[in-house]
Amino acid sequence: MNPLWLGLVLTAVKLVVVLAALLTMAAYMVWVERRLLARMQLRLGPNRVGWFGLLQPLADVIKMLAKEDTVPAQADRWVFLLAPAVTACMALLTFAVVPFGPPLSLFGQEVPMVVSDLNIGVLFFLGLSSLGVYGVALGGWASSSKFALMGAVRGLAQLISYELSMSLALVPVLMLAGSFSLSDIVAAQAEVPFVVYAPVSFAIFLVSILAESRRTPFDLPEAESELVAGYHTEYSGMRFGLYFVGEYINMIVLGALTTVLFLGGWHGPWLPGLAWFLLKVGALAFFFIWVRGTLPRLRYDQVMHLGWKVLLPLALVNLLVTAGILLGVRA
Amino acid sequence: MPTLTIDEREVSVPAGASVLEAAEALGITVPHFCYHKALGAVGACRLCAVEIQAGPQHGLRMACLVEARDGMVVSTTAPAATGMRRAVIEYLMLNHPHDCPVCDEGGECQLQDMTVAGGHGVRRYRGKKRTFPNQELGPFVEQEMNRCIQCYRCVRTYRDYAGGHDFGVLGVRQRVAYGRFRPGRLESPYSGNLVDVCPTGVFTDKTVRFRARVWDMQCAPSVCPHCSLGCATWPWARYRELLRVSGREGPRTNGFFLCDRGRFGSGHANHPDRPRTPRLDGRELGWPEALEALRERLTKLTWAHGPGAVGLLTSGRASLESARALGLLGQALGGAPVVCEPHPRRDRAVRALVAELGQLGRDQEDVRQSDCLLLAGLDPEGEAPMLALAARQAVRRGARAAVWDPRPDRLPFPARRIARLPEALLEALARPDGRAPDGLEAAERESYAETRAALQAAERPVLLGGADLLGPRGVRLLLAAARALSRPGRACGLSLALPGPDSFGGALLCPDGPDADELLAGIEAGRVRALVCLEADPLSEHPDPARVAAALGRLELLVVLDHLPTASAARAHAVLPTTAAAEMDGAFVNHAGRLQGFARVYSAGLPIRVTGQGAHPPREFRPDTPGELPQPGWAVLAALAGEPVELGELRAELARSEPRLAGLAGLVAGGPGVQLALEPSARERPDTPAEPGVAEGELALLSVEALFGSEPLSARAAPVAGVASEDALALCPADAARLGLGEGEPARLRSALGEAVLPVRLAPGLAPGFALVQRRFGGPLEGFAPGGGPIACRIEKGGAR
Amino acid sequence: MTLWRSIRGTLAALGVTLKAIFRRPATIPYPEVKRVPAPRYRARIVLTRDPRGGERCVACHLCSAACPVNCISMQAAEGPDGRRYAAWFRINFSRCIFCGLCAEACPTLAIQMTPDYELCRRDPLELVFEKEDLLVEDGGKDRDYDFYRHAGIGVAQARGEGSEEEPPADVRSLLP
Repeated sequence: MNPLWLGLVLTAVKLVVVLAALLTMAAYMVWVERRLLARMQLRLGPNRVGWFGLLQPLADVIKMLAKEDTVPAQADRWVFLLAPAVTACMALLTFAVVPFGPPLSLFGQEVPMVVSDLNIGVLFFLGLSSLGVYGVALGGWASSSKFALMGAVRGLAQLISYELSMSLALVPVLMLAGSFSLSDIVAAQAEVPFVVYAPVSFAIFLVSILAESRRTPFDLPEAESELVAGYHTEYSGMRFGLYFVGEYINMIVLGALTTVLFLGGWHGPWLPGLAWFLLKVGALAFFFIWVRGTLPRLRYDQVMHLGWKVLLPLALVNLLVTAGILLGVRA
Repeated sequence: MPTLTIDEREVSVPAGASVLEAAEALGITVPHFCYHKALGAVGACRLCAVEIQAGPQHGLRMACLVEARDGMVVSTTAPAATGMRRAVIEYLMLNHPHDCPVCDEGGECQLQDMTVAGGHGVRRYRGKKRTFPNQELGPFVEQEMNRCIQCYRCVRTYRDYAGGHDFGVLGVRQRVAYGRFRPGRLESPYSGNLVDVCPTGVFTDKTVRFRARVWDMQCAPSVCPHCSLGCATWPWARYRELLRVSGREGPRTNGFFLCDRGRFGSGHANHPDRPRTPRLDGRELGWPEALEALRERLTKLTWAHGPGAVGLLTSGRASLESARALGLLGQALGGAPVVCEPHPRRDRAVRALVAELGQLGRDQEDVRQSDCLLLAGLDPEGEAPMLALAARQAVRRGARAAVWDPRPDRLPFPARRIARLPEALLEALARPDGRAPDGLEAAERESYAETRAALQAAERPVLLGGADLLGPRGVRLLLAAARALSRPGRACGLSLALPGPDSFGGALLCPDGPDADELLAGIEAGRVRALVCLEADPLSEHPDPARVAAALGRLELLVVLDHLPTASAARAHAVLPTTAAAEMDGAFVNHAGRLQGFARVYSAGLPIRVTGQGAHPPREFRPDTPGELPQPGWAVLAALAGEPVELGELRAELARSEPRLAGLAGLVAGGPGVQLALEPSARERPDTPAEPGVAEGELALLSVEALFGSEPLSARAAPVAGVASEDALALCPADAARLGLGEGEPARLRSALGEAVLPVRLAPGLAPGFALVQRRFGGPLEGFAPGGGPIACRIEKGGAR
Repeated sequence: MTLWRSIRGTLAALGVTLKAIFRRPATIPYPEVKRVPAPRYRARIVLTRDPRGGERCVACHLCSAACPVNCISMQAAEGPDGRRYAAWFRINFSRCIFCGLCAEACPTLAIQMTPDYELCRRDPLELVFEKEDLLVEDGGKDRDYDFYRHAGIGVAQARGEGSEEEPPADVRSLLP
């Protein structure tokens, strides 16, 4: 078979498999989160639909699809309709550069377990996560509602603030790996994961992606106790569903990136690579849920304080120190 | 003006006021039972104890009995006073049956309030309670003697204030009970005041027994629509049903009390046959369609036959605004004139009064304060019951009273009486020399001279009259007499009972339109083709029902706006339902020219008692209210004229166009009202011709109103249905003997009003030569419309009844 | 040391939630497992009867006056023996907040609350209970109380024969 054709077919197969796996995982993340949160609060959680409530995500999807898709009378119609898709698409696209397993030999060809192994994978991720802001900003703006607008404004400020420290926390990793390609970064962690070399970077990155994913304790853009539902107040039906599922895809994608950048990706003893990868992502997802079940929402000034006065200086200092050490070691 | 200190606050009160009244002026309520503003203090309940700490008296005193003096220092909260009050209320509660849950007074009970205020909570006495037997006191008042606290308010109201004779106090020791000597209906026409005055639940309103709690009822300040006096009332409604009426404090009018007609005669608003849907040619329609169709037909008739083709008729029942809106409809129809009363003689009498009254009009308060009264041709029990109560208060204060009337004396006070038609006497009184008319007996001449002298000598004389008997000529003579008795700086007032609550206002708005006879002549000549009746019932109010019936039959279009199922409404091509007084905002001008506003108590609708058929309300959801269609008369008429207005706009327009009604702009319901700035008309006073007398051998028939059932409102009130007087023909014994008739024997009465066979009742007080009937709806006397004065009649024996 | 305290506080909180995951949930799976409420539980309202089997309710309107959500309405009427009773009595349970103020206000112990908390209907009109739905054949919590034995107006017994009454006085007697 023509290698070009084979490559195209394999890429298509990978695309479909990854997309399906990602969406299913996102849907079941909802179920896992609800069950876990419930247990943390001494409740049972969804346990009625199917065995242990396992069909709950399906029921939710059917419900949301069946609901009326309302558009406020004063809304900027087209922007309003498209904004949810932006969030979900950006989250999905990010996964294109994430290597999730060791390369596979298939039909005599080495098939990398990544949809597209870009040599600027990290930049691609940073760019997409910046674009993801538009989903929040446009949705809140187009709703023509004060709650939505305030949520959007908060989201913008918060995402821009934490993007800085997140990017800066990545620089030591890039210096350690010497590459922008995520596959290379994973390969560089074959022996020791970077979390050992750059623990401060890891901590800053972890806090920053919590803020980037707009989850507790950084869920100010949708703070239900103050802003009803923040930027997606006016959304209903599957458009709300896109925002909702986007958040969970984001959670998985960010977990996967943390795994790739700091936890050695699919590397690990005894178990196959894919299993390690999933385990590490699952642990991080559990961490996300655990934090949500524990910590209350920060006040707005506290969020800004943490971002600009704590994480950013810390990331800069960390960058200098790591660079200094690296210079010393390599010299 | 003594100035005293009560609870460390200073207050100045008029001389003679009690400490309790002074405290009231400060807004401090000293608990009390037996004291009542209108009845005064007797110090029987011992509850209003206060401590007087400095001043002419010292120590624990009854606040209602101590006159306020300069320099007094009073404490209502001193331990001695509160301790005494707690002890008193505890012993007043010793024999109380503790049955508040099944007592109708609950919620508005002074005993409940004072028990709480006095601080008595737990019963310590372990002995047995004294009980009493109850009495059956007729259809209005329910008695439960066990609840009594012996404050004597009932006796003081019934006997002292209202002059009743059949109610009193019996027993000794702690067996003091209040009631009639024998069970039976309370005879006084003011018996309902027992309900208002009793501080606890001994006397409750039997007509609304167990119907509602006071806190569940809607109420608003209103004006009584049953006669022309304009007494202040509180109508109470629940579940879209007008349940009861209680007296409101009207300082210028009724004081505190009400007559039984005003109190129990308001069931007409709940009449089952009352029109509730617009009806046109037998079909029920919504408002827009009905009004559209009617407007088109009225306009077509006006175009085809000129503006006179539509006749407009109202009555004293319609509110001032409705009467004005009828006038505006006339203007919209090219100038159709308004007839303001279906009875032409009444109409002329009212217009004569309104034209010439000026500032001579006197309210009930002026009558109460008067020192000399002349009642000329007034039968208060039928025409204006509260006027007699007001006159009684004047007489109790020492005023002299004289009565010139051929009818039997039913007044609650003593008066010198001349049993003759008052016309000749008034004519004499109006003459400068005041010489007695010819034909009087010696005693009568003496009585006349005495009365005239007393009226001339009095400080605040008031002439009282009834428009029904006096007629236009009598009213003019009464006015002339009042003017003749007035001196500069001291006017002789005048208080004339009129047919309806807004008769005065209606006549004010159309001082010189045609009367009902001219209207009928127009219909008979074919000039008038359509008639709009606003809360008027010409079929039962005109003295010639047969002629009215024939005339109505000639009409191309008869439109009746009413809230009563009247005879005219039954014959109308179109019936437009209006609201009763309690269901609308509006204003009446009372008999003395006082403009008073009334507020809407509840919205018209089918009572839950009807929609639920006695059981629970229907189990259904609906966005509207059943039977909610009736609209105020003015709103219907304005819509019919094609120019819907708000009440405020209508009132502002009325105040602009009629300067005498300028007070309408700032009128508030519940206030004292506005005395209209009336000027006697500058026109030459027409010399009204004397009415045709009664020929020899004929008796003069007087058809008058009874307390209940004679006027259209109380006649349709369920609570008084069983109380209306029996139809009877009253004759003086001499006349009866001459005709060979005895008590109870049937007699055939023939007159211009109609024919009837009635049992004879001997009335010794009736002047010879007169026959008296009381009109009653729903009987043989329904067509005997009052207001016609004495008319010739023939009475003969027998005939099957 | 603020930093240390913050970190320790955060970690301790994370520990608490982690431990909670392994504890038994407090939730009861309702329709399969039903909790048995205490006898004084405030749920469905009933109208009880006096020891002689008559309706205790005298339609005094105190419950409807006390009701903060105005869910009680009634109409009083007079029976042939002068007894005041409710011609109709309606509780709208779709409005009721089960606060118990009506039962507390009731002077005749007629209105009482039961532990029957299962009050769900598909049609809100079915939650509007009429008198016949509310009446029970029982005296409820105080079976021996009879209001008319104590209220001295002679309905359940002749006048002056109540438990704390003397026979009716003869008002025409002048004896001291």
